[in-house]
Amino acid sequence: MENSLPDHRKKRGLSQQALADALGVSRQTIISLEKGRYDPSLPLAFKLSALFGCRIEDLFQPDDE
Amino acid sequence: MNTEQETKARWGRSRFGGSQAMLIIVSLLAGAVLSLGAGLLFATLNFPGDFVLAALIMAAGLLPVLSVGCWALLLDRSTLRGATKNPEISVESQWYDKAAVGVFQDILLVCGLGAAVLSFIEVQASTGLILAGVVGLAMADFGVRYLLIKRAEG
Repeated sequence: MENSLPDHRKKRGLSQQALADALGVSRQTIISLEKGRYDPSLPLAFKLSALFGCRIEDLFQPDDE
Repeated sequence: MNTEQETKARWGRSRFGGSQAMLIIVSLLAGAVLSLGAGLLFATLNFPGDFVLAALIMAAGLLPVLSVGCWALLLDRSTLRGATKNPEISVESQWYDKAAVGVFQDILLVCGLGAAVLSFIEVQASTGLILAGVVGLAMADFGVRYLLIKRAEG
């Protein structure tokens, strides 16, 4: 799954560790999310959208088949 | 943030209150009592001749495991430095699940094939040793699988 997480994070001036702390997850989770190696669970996706004040679809886009 | 960090400790604090040192001391004492009890029971049932030696060896082996077990039971996880607040939605949780599923399949395969082979060949072995072997295999398998998944997806 593609995502625009790094852009949103950098716009807010957050480091990966700061974002991880805000979400209550490990920094490795943010690294894996940004690399597209980890598809977030719904609770995590909702937390991210609430934190960045946008829709989940604005953060994550499914791969083209 | 600083206040939150200051309330956290490397080994955490007990869910019943008290300092980090208190948690460690109580865990060690509880572990010592339990391991001594288990050592005495083991020696009584198996080695009445070398009672003291057998009890001490068993107790020494169990002490670290039971102490850590007591620490884990008594710990208030929110006071542990470095512990994430929501581990269930962290990527490590997914790695854990994937590794555990793989171990389950491996254990089914190994035990199934082993049972099939042993139905043709009669082998005398201690049930305790066999179970310990299965647990050891599962733990080693899990460790390898977790590391491989972490390397591939991390």
